[in-house]
Amino acid sequence: MNLDELKKIRERERRRGKNWIRVGYSTCGIAAGADEVFEVMQRELEKRGLDVELKKVGCAGMCYAEPLVEINVEGVPRVFYGKVDGAKAAKIIEKHVAGKILLNDHIYEIPSGREGG
Amino acid sequence: MILTRVLIRDTSGDGPDRTREFYGSFLNYLVENKLDDVVQPVRAADVGIYDQGMVLRILPQDILYVRVDEDDIPKIVSRLADDKPPLKKLLGRGKILQQRVVLKNCGVIDPERIEDYIGVDGYQALGRVLTGMEPAAVIEELKTSRLRGRGGGGYPTWKKWQFSLEVEDEEKYVICNGDEGDPGAYMDRSVLEGDPHSVLEGMIIAGYTVGAGRGYVYIRAEYPLAISRIQKAIDQAYEHGLLGSDILGSGFDFDLEIRLGAGAFVCGEETALIASVEGKRGYPRPRPPYPAVKGLWGKPTVINNVETLANIPRIILRGGEWFSGIGRQITSQSSRGTKVFALTGKIRNSGLIEVPMGTTLHEIVYEIGGGIPHGKRLKAVQTGGPSGGVISADFINIPVGYERLQKLGSIMGSGGMIVMDQDDCMVDIAKFYLRFCVDESCGKCAPCRIGGTQMLAVLSRITEGEGLPEDLEKLRLISHAMQKASLCGLGQTAPNPVLSTLNYFEDEYREHIENKHCPAGSCVRLFSYSIDQDKCKRCGLCIRHCPVHCISGDREQGFHIHSDQCIRCGQCFAECKFDAINRN
Repeated sequence: MNLDELKKIRERERRRGKNWIRVGYSTCGIAAGADEVFEVMQRELEKRGLDVELKKVGCAGMCYAEPLVEINVEGVPRVFYGKVDGAKAAKIIEKHVAGKILLNDHIYEIPSGREGG
Repeated sequence: MILTRVLIRDTSGDGPDRTREFYGSFLNYLVENKLDDVVQPVRAADVGIYDQGMVLRILPQDILYVRVDEDDIPKIVSRLADDKPPLKKLLGRGKILQQRVVLKNCGVIDPERIEDYIGVDGYQALGRVLTGMEPAAVIEELKTSRLRGRGGGGYPTWKKWQFSLEVEDEEKYVICNGDEGDPGAYMDRSVLEGDPHSVLEGMIIAGYTVGAGRGYVYIRAEYPLAISRIQKAIDQAYEHGLLGSDILGSGFDFDLEIRLGAGAFVCGEETALIASVEGKRGYPRPRPPYPAVKGLWGKPTVINNVETLANIPRIILRGGEWFSGIGRQITSQSSRGTKVFALTGKIRNSGLIEVPMGTTLHEIVYEIGGGIPHGKRLKAVQTGGPSGGVISADFINIPVGYERLQKLGSIMGSGGMIVMDQDDCMVDIAKFYLRFCVDESCGKCAPCRIGGTQMLAVLSRITEGEGLPEDLEKLRLISHAMQKASLCGLGQTAPNPVLSTLNYFEDEYREHIENKHCPAGSCVRLFSYSIDQDKCKRCGLCIRHCPVHCISGDREQGFHIHSDQCIRCGQCFAECKFDAINRN
């Protein structure tokens, strides 16, 4: 690979979908039950035919609120849901992703100091 | 269609949670005014702000209202509906205390896909270095950045690299120290698991800069996920020509592999770690010569911690000036950039945080961490693990930096930060950390091997009520001997938790020795439980909760605790609704 090829991959990656769900998949998330959350979300997205990219990511820092899910879908502000389980995961897909309604009692909106919010 | 969301959270901390009640009133008002189809109120679990009454965060405008009353609802809603500027009187200041530099990709990218990393400018720094920077220029950039070792030592990174560069040798090495072992610390694990390529990129840049052709990532075997993710990252980097020969067409060759640590704490010490990579027993050796000059297989070796290496690509891409500009001016100019801490212990929000140098302990504990749970009082903060010390709550306003923490008898360390409250006994804490070091001492040198064991015996007898008046002096004496005469960092720093607790909490030690009393109520040999027959309502709750059946009696005769069988677990004390259990 050379520099140009590296840049090509970067540009391709930057054009990827704007609708995504990130599931915390470090030791902390997995220990708290991220596996189930991921599986349920994958199933629910497929069932509803929703075009949302589901991703496994590292630890976002809020270990006390794992399993942690960050969601960015058009028409709804980007938020974190914490202490998610299988049932909550299904509800998040139904209400938040499909219905564009935020769920009560599980949002962890904490300024992390990440660039771009 | 919903245009605005209002996150609602009662952050008062004391008294009942009024979030639900306020949410109800807000929703009712919206329904009455037929606005519930454009504004959605949401009960949030956490809004990142504490002790500011009812907090409302309005999205997507990102307006923050604090100390809101129900009477304010009409005004707030009318401003929202008419798109008018926010209500000044209720506006809160959303302080952003954290800054993600090392952790910028953790929780953002898929660590098992190299393309994800490349998409966030991954390997661009390597490209820049290989195609247009002389080694001296890389070192100059690091010098400008004033980056210091994040593993605890705080040695300027550019100097290590410079020493290695200056030695002429065909064979040189780069090692990543991922042998994180402090109790309560997991910063490196998170970086290895969440952003493995950034560590590899830092290592390849180090290799090019000092002229090394091979590197080792040393990770403790207790981190299986980190190991598998680093291995995947290495494989992908080879597939993409970012490791191996002729990297990015530059003619530079670099190979990388993993070495596993088998669980000895001392292997985090660089000379012991090198011995372990060589396949020998993890014994430290005296320095100098430093590894930068004479390290692995006797060859010049750059050995850096995970967090230090993850900083390298960011510094190359954004410049040393940018990095040295991070951090508050109140700190000494030698602590720049950010530091990752694993915040644990008696704290509401435990987790991984990254703050600019100079952030105060108060901000970390109360504003980021959300304070101490259950209305308890902060007593001390422990930093630096077994090599560090405790800092008393009196110094909670000090800014975090290498020198500032050292002055207070602790160290920055690798980033473990354990918060302690009024129920934590400082003698017991010192004993805990010392026991850790005694267990982990390799036994090679006498000051550490014998000194540690002797101190532990003294601390044990103090917590058991057998302490002697001369014990404090004895602890200080052995501590100083260990600090001066131990061979490596483990022994030299092992007395720190003892000395720092002794410094701030000598009264607590004396109370144990002179009055056989543990003020924190934690040393089980120093108190016993009994039942106050006047207060006792003879409900029998204590007898049902006692796990060792040491309470006898019945509802007619009353109940009694048999002290000789009691294990001081405190179940009865916690369960009694009438404060009828005495602890003395």
